[in-house]
Amino acid sequence: MTWDTKLIEKANEIIELYPQKRSALGPLLYLAQEKEGYIDDDSVVEISKLIGITEVQVRSVASFYTMYKQEPTGQYLLSVCKSISCEINNSRELINNIKEFTGLANNETDEDKTFTFEEVECIGACGGAPAVQVNYETVEGVTPTKALELCKYLKEEVPKVIVADELQEKFGGVKSFDWGIEDNSGTSSTAPGFQIIGTAEEK
Amino acid sequence: MSENIKFTVDGKELEGQSGELLIEACEKSGIHIPRFCWHKRLEPVGMCRMCLVEVETPRGKALVPSCTTEITEDLVVDTESEIVTKAQEGILEFLLINHPLDCPVCDKAGECPLQDQTMAYGPGESRFVEEKRHFEKPIPISEVILLDRERCILCARCTRFSDEISGDPLIEFIQRGNKTEVNTFPNEPFRSYFSGNTVQICPVGALTSTSYRFKARPWDLKKVSSTCNCCSVGCSIELNTSQNKMLRILGEDNEFTNQGWLSDKGRYNFDFLHSENRVLNILNKSEDSFNEISIAEATVKIKDKINELDNPNIKFLIGSHSTNEEYFVINEVANYLNKDKFLSRDSSNVYFSDDLLFNGYFDDEYSKAKLEDLDSSETIVVWCEDIKDNLPILYLRIKKAVKNGAKLIVFGHTNTAIAGLADFYFGKGIVSNKFDLIVNPSEIEDLKNNTQGKKVTVIAGKSTVFQKKESLDKLINYLNESSELKVFNSFSKGNTFGALQNIDEVKGLNEFCNEFDNDAKNIVFTVGVNPVNSSHFAQPIKEILISSDFVVSMDLFINETTELADLILPTTSLGEKEGTITNMEMRVMKQNKILPAPGSTLSEWEYLTAILNILGGDVQYRNENEINSFLVKEYKDQQQVATFDNLNKPSNLFGVINRKEININTKDLHEDTFSLLMVRRLYGDSSTQINSPSISMLGAERFIELNSETAKKFGIKSQFGNLVQGSNSILINIDINEFLPDGLVVAPINRRGFENVDPSKEFEITEAKNREELSVN
Repeated sequence: MTWDTKLIEKANEIIELYPQKRSALGPLLYLAQEKEGYIDDDSVVEISKLIGITEVQVRSVASFYTMYKQEPTGQYLLSVCKSISCEINNSRELINNIKEFTGLANNETDEDKTFTFEEVECIGACGGAPAVQVNYETVEGVTPTKALELCKYLKEEVPKVIVADELQEKFGGVKSFDWGIEDNSGTSSTAPGFQIIGTAEEK
Repeated sequence: MSENIKFTVDGKELEGQSGELLIEACEKSGIHIPRFCWHKRLEPVGMCRMCLVEVETPRGKALVPSCTTEITEDLVVDTESEIVTKAQEGILEFLLINHPLDCPVCDKAGECPLQDQTMAYGPGESRFVEEKRHFEKPIPISEVILLDRERCILCARCTRFSDEISGDPLIEFIQRGNKTEVNTFPNEPFRSYFSGNTVQICPVGALTSTSYRFKARPWDLKKVSSTCNCCSVGCSIELNTSQNKMLRILGEDNEFTNQGWLSDKGRYNFDFLHSENRVLNILNKSEDSFNEISIAEATVKIKDKINELDNPNIKFLIGSHSTNEEYFVINEVANYLNKDKFLSRDSSNVYFSDDLLFNGYFDDEYSKAKLEDLDSSETIVVWCEDIKDNLPILYLRIKKAVKNGAKLIVFGHTNTAIAGLADFYFGKGIVSNKFDLIVNPSEIEDLKNNTQGKKVTVIAGKSTVFQKKESLDKLINYLNESSELKVFNSFSKGNTFGALQNIDEVKGLNEFCNEFDNDAKNIVFTVGVNPVNSSHFAQPIKEILISSDFVVSMDLFINETTELADLILPTTSLGEKEGTITNMEMRVMKQNKILPAPGSTLSEWEYLTAILNILGGDVQYRNENEINSFLVKEYKDQQQVATFDNLNKPSNLFGVINRKEININTKDLHEDTFSLLMVRRLYGDSSTQINSPSISMLGAERFIELNSETAKKFGIKSQFGNLVQGSNSILINIDINEFLPDGLVVAPINRRGFENVDPSKEFEITEAKNREELSVN
């Protein structure tokens, strides 16, 4: 899908924030991901035109960072930390439970496009390990049992908007600290809220 | 300013310049540090870690990559310590983990840095028993280049080249970690005029050329240095042959000209040498077909014809692919026939086949530029034909200078490829729709501010056939008075400057057409030219050749021009003849012979001396060297003459600059109204290119360019259409180019399909029925 005028207008607003056009590449990729749920080739072409670099240069950056998705993800992207703090707090069992529930291996999406499961490196929540992210909204102190409940909740209730605090209350435990930007609006897609460019406010 | 620095490597005290990289400083002192990613013409990245050396630091010895470390005073370096050796073994073991051991079928084997350095520095045994990474092998990333990702060691030489040097980054690293690969974007192939260089600098066999793949092993190749004749930059090249076949051409690092790089045209335009279409015997036209005759019969025929026609006009139409020695003989023959003894005409009868030839800036009042002057210029001013298409390596040199801080000012409407680099582009408002300067140059503020009192190099030439010399004069003379100016005459075709140096008086195609007297008897010699295919004057020249009484063509193929000849004398080409050629900075360089002349072909000078002798001349050149010894006598500087012996000395391998008197006599074309401009593109339908299978498809795309205003005027809505002229209709892509003036349509002159388009006649552009028609070739 090529970009409509509204999206291009928004992209131009972002580009103006930077002294060089090509510096806007990161946020523009988020914009593309917001729209399609992943970075599709058409968006790459649009971005390359907007900031004056070649398509393959855009794709090079987009494919380097794992949080830019190269393929469509399911409605809920489950990112479970496997780094050292979570690992010693039993994230392995948590991972196994989620894998068993969803039937997914690392970096897989199920057939009805509900879940995508991925094991990730440190997500900066060591104080509340083990930690899980649903569409990049972080839940800390999750036990293997709570993780199963979380999956069940997502599968049965199918919440439209994911809000970190709500999940934390229902399925979380010990919390490390008030992390990140103050943003309680949640996300409705697998793209992360990106407050600076205003994508989060629209929900 | 850089200062001398003393440092110690392996116990030896060395000297280098401040700011120099350790790996480079060591190399200069004869200490070789192994490397994959580092290349002296590219920015260092420290990617492969092969060049790790041990350096003494305040905190003890440390391993550092020598390609990203600058030398400092009293630096102590160890390149052979136990730790360095271990690091090198380790790096090689890592690199070989995923590198396939397909050396027996790999083109690179035998000249492969990975293979060689594994032998020299590698661990000797592999501990890797797991499955290697697999990719589809190979994948084409353009028409001329194949990529085998399994072999790639991720040194980033190719991606850095395409980004830093050629400026068309169409290949990049995709993915990360173990999955990293070099690739292109889908449907966006690596279409670059310079893509072949990535094959040459690839330290493994990941990038290969379609033309060389599986053709030979490096140890079977016979090699000789030579000079490329595709444009007037004169790149240093190495010809590689095996079994008397040219197999590939590599760029040599000539500091003064190409600095290692070549355009793909120069690199891949050689398959034609062995084409089955090549003319190998003298062809004589009788009725409408050609039959083979001997050289003896041919010379007699020419003699008889000249005598029979009784005082005919004899004209020479010459091209840009002869050597200086051949031009010298052409001049001698032309003079002999024309005035010295034979026919007593007083004006010159030699016409050079370049639409854009003009009188140039050769007088002593203009100081002449060298390519290295671009690097020291504060401002570069360009007003000439499209540089990227016609002088590709000059484009790279300008790009490099601009990257290092030179300001670039471009005039005109047609030099669009270089516009992306320009600080100032003076098109509409300053240059009229007829390519004349309509503003006094001293009134252009940006020009004045960037040139007055500064070091300026100007690349000056006619940007189009319609341009008048007068407006170019205005600019050049203004710059000459107000700045420290050095001038390049931008004649772009092959050995143009050799022709100018060695022929007493040169005229252009416009003069050829104007001076033709249909009532007189006419004999025309064409020497390696095909103007009927690719000149603004194609139609009148065709008519002249048809109505001439006798036409002799010296060429490699039967083409649009030679098919009109009565006699075709097949000649030799690159690698089949020895001689010197002169580039745009008057650097005289050597072309060497490595292949035998095929069939019964002879070099142009051999035919010409034979003709001269049968007509009563008494010249007895036995070889190129003898001609050379005569022609060097006319060089202005007799200290550094370009004799074969001199040029073969190691210090002169990259040529010597030497000048001769130059005399060009051309007049401007006076066309008041024109709306179709035909310009030359790098790739096209020259008989050499279409007979070189590996690049014959590169010149297949047909397109026109116009600005959006003009498009509106023609009522063009889609991106493709038909160019219609009389009964001739060509399917074309329509490209919008806003640099062009209103009302002008630009079409390639050297593309298949355009040979029957007459720029002086009316045309129209109509909608094409469907897009599929375009792909029909």
